[in-house]
Amino acid sequence: MQPKHVLDGYRVLDLTQYLAGPAATNLMVQMGAEVIKVEIGPHGEPVRNFPFCREGRSGYFIQQNRGKKSLCLDPKTPEGLDIIKQLLKHCDVFIENFAPGVVSRLGLGWDVVRELNPEIIMCSISAFGQEGPLAAYPGFDYIAQAYAAVSDLIGEPDRAPSLPMLAFGDVGTGVHALTAIGYALLERARDGGGQWLDISLLDSYFHYHEVSVQAYSASGGKVQPHRSGSHHYAVGPSGIFKAKDGHLMILALLHQWAPLCRAMGREDLIADPKFVDNDARMIHREEMIAIIEAWLQTLPSDAAALEILEGARIPCAPILSVPEAMAHPHMIERRTVRTIEDRLLGKFQIPGMPLRFSKYAVDEDIQAPLLGEHNAEILQRFLRYSPAQVRDLESRQVLFSKPV
Amino acid sequence: MQPKHMMEGYRILDFTQFLAGPTTTRLLAEMGAEVIKVELAPAGDPTHQLPHRRAGRSGYYIQQNRGKKSVCVDIRNPKGLALIKELVKSCDVLLENFSPGAIARLGLGWDVVRHLNPELIMCSISAFGQTGPLSELPGFDYIAMAVSGVMDMIGDPDQPPYFPMLGIGDVSAGVHALAAINAALLYRYKTGRGQYIDISLLDSYFHSHEINVQAYSGSKGKIVPRRSGHHHYAAAPLGLFKCRDGYLFMVVMARQWVPLCKAMGRDDLIDNPNYDTNAKRVQHRLEIVAIIEDWLKDFDRDDALRLLEDMHVPVAPVLSVPEAMEHPHLIEREVVRTIHDRGYGDLQIPGIPLRFSDFPEPLDLQAPYLGEHNREIFSQLAGATVAEVAALEAEGVLVSEPLPAGVTTIASA
Repeated sequence: MQPKHVLDGYRVLDLTQYLAGPAATNLMVQMGAEVIKVEIGPHGEPVRNFPFCREGRSGYFIQQNRGKKSLCLDPKTPEGLDIIKQLLKHCDVFIENFAPGVVSRLGLGWDVVRELNPEIIMCSISAFGQEGPLAAYPGFDYIAQAYAAVSDLIGEPDRAPSLPMLAFGDVGTGVHALTAIGYALLERARDGGGQWLDISLLDSYFHYHEVSVQAYSASGGKVQPHRSGSHHYAVGPSGIFKAKDGHLMILALLHQWAPLCRAMGREDLIADPKFVDNDARMIHREEMIAIIEAWLQTLPSDAAALEILEGARIPCAPILSVPEAMAHPHMIERRTVRTIEDRLLGKFQIPGMPLRFSKYAVDEDIQAPLLGEHNAEILQRFLRYSPAQVRDLESRQVLFSKPV
Repeated sequence: MQPKHMMEGYRILDFTQFLAGPTTTRLLAEMGAEVIKVELAPAGDPTHQLPHRRAGRSGYYIQQNRGKKSVCVDIRNPKGLALIKELVKSCDVLLENFSPGAIARLGLGWDVVRHLNPELIMCSISAFGQTGPLSELPGFDYIAMAVSGVMDMIGDPDQPPYFPMLGIGDVSAGVHALAAINAALLYRYKTGRGQYIDISLLDSYFHSHEINVQAYSGSKGKIVPRRSGHHHYAAAPLGLFKCRDGYLFMVVMARQWVPLCKAMGRDDLIDNPNYDTNAKRVQHRLEIVAIIEDWLKDFDRDDALRLLEDMHVPVAPVLSVPEAMEHPHLIEREVVRTIHDRGYGDLQIPGIPLRFSDFPEPLDLQAPYLGEHNREIFSQLAGATVAEVAALEAEGVLVSEPLPAGVTTIASA
């Protein structure tokens, strides 16, 4: 039988909330895995109230939780905890993103989990990792970003750094977690046995330093990485240039300097000692930027500038706003922006599936669960609970659900 | 026998250069896979020339290519192409990050390689993806960042945006590729079938919009996401605050507002009706920022940090790269790691972000010299004799740089 997608047949017990953990299981579910989202009663996942909300449904929740099954319970009751423990025996993966130590205090630490199911892969996601001096501190995306020396590299050098208004750290950490889980599953398929994975926002953010760490270290401190506003401090032209209508990103590295000069009708600059190589251009950076911006002002529009630059094969781009990006023909054709329809909230758009497989198209028809929507299904299928038992547990506030 | 690491026994044919693709194969090498890096003759991966360099070695190249084997081949020469095709037959994964279409023009498109090896997984990484109106354009990290709506979300609203001085898009696309390759390997494990994977920087960047896309769309354009400088537009206080000698990031949730007021000696603010909900604090956020910074101006960053930590306010110092590299937490966990290159010497790089309980020790890996493994790889995997490899090197079909005196090659296990 043809599997429905690449991870068909894998089952995940998902005790994560907010963004980093749900981003990992969001991708797993889109690859066909069965994800049982355990929500903590009575209210469940806190992002169920995050904006934008309509009809009591959060677009934020839906984006991260489509296709998951919701089981809402109180893990501090013995029966609730026992349900989780019994389910762990039926799962390939257990993922959680509480502060370090919390799952152990709940009675679900790695030592317990591995006894229940020696083949399970457990993944813990945290801000700073499971041990070390910072492990116990509360953490969010921007907190780890600041500790990882990423915030320090964004903005004008003589002013406060700027905060990106999106969550690179949480989403990126979710993708890192996904890879670690997946490779542990692959190793298990061959060698058997589960293991415990320790994934953190700090590790993931620090992993982005492709240059700064080695350049500072290797130069004995001579190369000081620093934020440099809208233009790169080490290579150029590489930055954001004021154009006729708005701003354009232009990256004319090394061999692209001569084509750029020709595109501007300034062949005289190619051999000009002030601009002849990257080092010279960095010394005369301000003058170089002024020349390029003056040229851009002579053109009738940004579109005209892009046409000339693209014709010369110089990497360039308009700096699109989110609404502009969502309306761009390329994003629409490739479904990088995708329209989904929630049962209650209706139609709206979210980012598309970033992992594209030749054997499987993206499944559009998956729904984010209502709170506790799958209590009965999960407990009946895996633990043989009767409908009456489930009703009893709901009446005693071990299980929770919120009908429409 | 216990494998030396997770991916031991897997063989990767790696045509990638620069950053995004090499990130994927670097992580695979860290997990024990055999990575054969195919470098294009005569000069190989352009990052051999990137700073910081010492003893003819680039720290940039070393960071991205430790643990890989280098073969340097003129693929446009039919003899070079024939050797590569032999390698395709014995590899599990083929990765490339040329412009879309280039690998097919080289004679190694998906339609060709899938017939050479039906179980092969091929992954292409590009700026904009293999299809669509933008696919033909040249692209780098910041180009995809501009098109994805991400760059527009960084900076002050009335100023041009900023971009981060690090390769978030390239590294992130590399990790996305790693995830997709893994899922395809799991699938192949069950079904025996290979497939083709299309990964792009644009997709990976756009994937980071956890709120902007749905909020704009769901509100039918009423919520327009916008950059808002050092402070968030939707929660307050949430942002970067100036101290005497640096900056702190602070986020004050509902239950931390009162302790913060007390710490500042400003109990009068607790009952101020302008500040008693998040919505009102957002409305008056500039006033609040001024009050907090007026209080912080007499504090050194690290003193304020300890004080706020004691009150359980989520807070962090904005560390510079050198400060982060010296932080005890990053050192203890080897988030920053010191490695030793045969030619370059000691060097610090970011640690491996994937931590497995069964394989706690990082492998001892070396970045290759250009073409260092020509002889090993082509004799073991492509049936060439040592003399044939030497002849091809004399002809310029294969290239290798001489190893400096005292440097010995790392033999395969």
